[in-house]
Amino acid sequence: MSEELVQPCARTTRRDALRNIAFGLTTLGGGSLTVEAAQHVHSAVAAERAAGPYRPKAFSEQQWVTLRRLVELIVPADAVSPSALDAGAPEFIDLLASQNPELARIYYGGFAWLDAEMRRRYGKPFASAKTEQQVAMLDALVEAERLLERHSAEEAIYRRGGTYKMFSRYTTQPGTPLAAGVRFFDWVRKMTVDAYYTSAVGIRDLGFVGNTVLSKYEVPVEVVEYALKRSPFGAR
Amino acid sequence: MFHIQRTPEVYDVVVIGSGAGGGTAVRVLTEKGISCALLEAGPMLDPAKEFKEHQWPYQVDHRGAEEGGKFYFGQGKPFGYFTTTSGGWELEGEPYTVAEGSEFQWFRSRIVGGRTNHYGRMSFRFSDYDFKPYSMDGLGWDWPVSYEEIAPYYDKAERFIGVTGSNHNLRSAPNGQFLPPPPPRAHEVLIQKSCEKLGIPCIPNRRAVLTRPWNGRAACHYCGQCGRGCLTASAYSSAQVDVFPSLKTGKLKLFTNAMARELLTDGNGKVTGVIYIDKTTRTEKVIRGRAFVLAASACESARILLNSKTKDYPNGVANGSGVVGRFLMDTVGFSLSGYVPALEGLPRYNTDGFGGAHLYMPWWMVGKHDQLDFPRGYHIEIGGGYGMPGVGSFHGAARRYGYGAQMKQKIREEYGCTVAFAGRGEMIPNLHSYCEIDPDVVDQWGIPVLKFHFQWSDYEWKQARHMEKTFTAIIETMGGRVRSLSDSAREKGGISTPGSIIHEVGTVRMGSDPRSSALNKYCQSHEAKNLFVVDGGFFVSNPDKNPTLTINAFAWRAADYLAEEMRKGNV
Repeated sequence: MSEELVQPCARTTRRDALRNIAFGLTTLGGGSLTVEAAQHVHSAVAAERAAGPYRPKAFSEQQWVTLRRLVELIVPADAVSPSALDAGAPEFIDLLASQNPELARIYYGGFAWLDAEMRRRYGKPFASAKTEQQVAMLDALVEAERLLERHSAEEAIYRRGGTYKMFSRYTTQPGTPLAAGVRFFDWVRKMTVDAYYTSAVGIRDLGFVGNTVLSKYEVPVEVVEYALKRSPFGAR
Repeated sequence: MFHIQRTPEVYDVVVIGSGAGGGTAVRVLTEKGISCALLEAGPMLDPAKEFKEHQWPYQVDHRGAEEGGKFYFGQGKPFGYFTTTSGGWELEGEPYTVAEGSEFQWFRSRIVGGRTNHYGRMSFRFSDYDFKPYSMDGLGWDWPVSYEEIAPYYDKAERFIGVTGSNHNLRSAPNGQFLPPPPPRAHEVLIQKSCEKLGIPCIPNRRAVLTRPWNGRAACHYCGQCGRGCLTASAYSSAQVDVFPSLKTGKLKLFTNAMARELLTDGNGKVTGVIYIDKTTRTEKVIRGRAFVLAASACESARILLNSKTKDYPNGVANGSGVVGRFLMDTVGFSLSGYVPALEGLPRYNTDGFGGAHLYMPWWMVGKHDQLDFPRGYHIEIGGGYGMPGVGSFHGAARRYGYGAQMKQKIREEYGCTVAFAGRGEMIPNLHSYCEIDPDVVDQWGIPVLKFHFQWSDYEWKQARHMEKTFTAIIETMGGRVRSLSDSAREKGGISTPGSIIHEVGTVRMGSDPRSSALNKYCQSHEAKNLFVVDGGFFVSNPDKNPTLTINAFAWRAADYLAEEMRKGNV
C-alpha cells in the first residue's frame, strides 16, 4: 500500500498554498511547492484504507482477486516504481463500478468471460491459473486486438470502394472469437493506466515536476542544449 | 403580460451577458458613473469554490473520471473535470437543434464571466487587411471600420487586460502593447528552428496572462492551469477583471440566473426593456433602461433579437435587413501531432510555463495567394511538454504497447516527446451557414430555441489540407515522425466540427449599409439607436485571429460611444 495515498496531511495544506498565492508570490521567493507539500489527501478511499483492508463495493471476492491480478500484470512493479496495486487501481475501478451499473456490468461480464475462457484453455479460472497461463491469455488478447485493428482499418478502405456493399458481409466479420475479451481487457487496461498515472507513484514514475507555484519561469539551458544536440539542427 | 413583475428602477444601461463583451461594457460604463444592470443567465462565480487550480488528480477518488466514470462514456465535463468550464455542448433543459445535413456544436457557459473563465487567452489583434477582405479577394464583405480606427482600442484593451508578446513588424501580427513573454520551452525551440528553415515566422505568443504585476493583479505563478480558472486573476477573465471591480463602484447591479428572453420596444423603434426569466423562481420579470447592450454571445444575441418580434420590428428587433442569424462563422480547425526522438531522455524540467504555448506562428503568406488554392490564411498554435497526467493521457500508448513492463517503459520514454499543432484559419461566410428560430422547440423557460445550419465549403477543406502539409513539414524538419491520419480519420477529422473551435461569430454583423447589416461601426443598431451588440455577433468576417481581444476592443469603443451619445442626449 502506498504511503502517498494514505499520507494524512503534509506540511503545507492546500488552503495554506492558496493563501500564499493570494497574498502575492514574491513572499515565496524563487521557491516552489513540492509534490509532497502540495499533497493533502483527504479522500474517502484513503480514509477507508487507513481504517483497515479495503472491502470492494462492487465486486465479489473472486472478482476482486481477479481484478487485482489483472492490474498488477498491466502495470507491474519494476526497478523504477511499484505496480498498479500500489497506485490504488483496483479501488479506483471498484469505486466507479459501484457508482455505475453500466460499468459494473462491463466488469461482471468481462470477469465471467475471462474465467470461462481460462477454464476452457487451462481448466481453471484466471486468478488461480499460473502466471505463464495468465500472461499467455493476455498476450492472446493483445494479438487479437491488433488483428481487429487491422480489420477495421481495412474495412474503412473497403467502405469507400464501390463493391463494399456487395461484400460487406465478409468485411464486417469480427475475425476473432476473442473480440469480447479484447474489449473487456481494453477497459481494464485503460482504467488501470489512468489510475496509475494519476497517482502519486505514477506521477513520480513519469518525472512530472510541474503543478507548482513559481515567481519566475525559466527553461534550463542544458535542457535546450540537450534537445538541440540530438536534433537535426545540432548544437546552438 | 399582466403576470410580469416590473422593477420600478430605470437603469441608464442594461447589459445582457457578462463575458468579454458585457464585462468590458459594464466596466467602461460604470467607470464613467453610468448606472448599469447586468443580466447573467447563470449563477455568480465564486473562484475559491469553482476553480480547481493546483489540485492533483489523486486528490479526488475518481481521479478526474467523475462519478461512475462518466468520462469513459463520453459524458464527462467538456475539456475535463478539472477545468472550470461552467456549461458545455449540451445544457440540461436548454436545447438547440441542428438541421438535417448540417453539423454544429454550440458551447455555452452559464456563469458570471462566461467562457472567459476557461478560454485559451489567445489575444491576437486583427491585421489591417482583415478589415478589408472583400477589397482583397472579392469574397465576403469589408468591415465598416479600418485598422487605424480600432487600433487605439486594441492598445487600450491590451494595456488593460495585460497581453504578452513582442513586436516584429509583421503584417499578419501587428505590433502592440505587450508584457514580456516567457522563454520558449525545449520543444518550442526545436519548432522555432524548424519554422526558420521553412520560412515560417515563429514568435512569442500573445496571451492575456500577466508576466508581471499589472493593474492591481498579481503576476502569473506559472502553474500552467489557466483552463481551471486563475485564483489570482493573473489570466484575464471578465468576471474577475471587469465585473467584480465594477460591482465595487456601486454603479452596477448584477442579476444572476437571469435569462433574457426578448426586448420590448416603444412602437417607435426604441428599446425600452428586456423580459427575462428569473430561473430561481421561474418567473418572468422586466428590467427597464435608457440603453441596451447585448453581449449574450453571437448566437444567443441573435436568438434574443429574433425572438423579439414587436409592432415596430416584425422580423425581430434590429432585423429590418434580415441578416440577424445569417453568416454564421466558426474558425477552421485542424490538428496534427508528431513524435520527436530528439526529446527522448531529456532531463525532466517544469514545462507548465504560463499555460499555453510560449510561441506561435502567425500567417506567413499574405499576398501570396497565387501560390495557394484557398483564400485567406491561418495561424498555428503549439502543444507539447510534460503535461500533468490525467485520465486518458496514455490510452493511445497503452493500446500501442499492449501491457506489462514493456508498456510501462515505453510510456515513461515517450512522455513529453510529442508535439502537436493546431491550425486556426479563416472561414469565408456563406449562405448555408446560419441560425434561425426553430418554431417547433422551446427550452425549459419557454423560449424558442435556435436551429443551426452549417456547411464548410471547399475553401475551408483546402485550407485544412494546407495545414496538414505544413504541420507535416514542421514535424519532419525537426526529425519527428507524424502520427499520421488514416484515410478514414481524415474523412472524419480532416477539419474541425463546425462550432467546435468556439469562435462562432457574425450573426448580427456590422456594416455601412443598413440593408445588408444590423449594426453600424460602433456596434449600434442601425434601427434602434439605443441598442448595441458587443459580442462576436458584430463580426463581418472571422479572421484567423481568435476573437476575444477584438470583442474587448469593440465593446470598449461601443461603450465610449454610447456614453458620449447619452451625454449629448442622442440616446
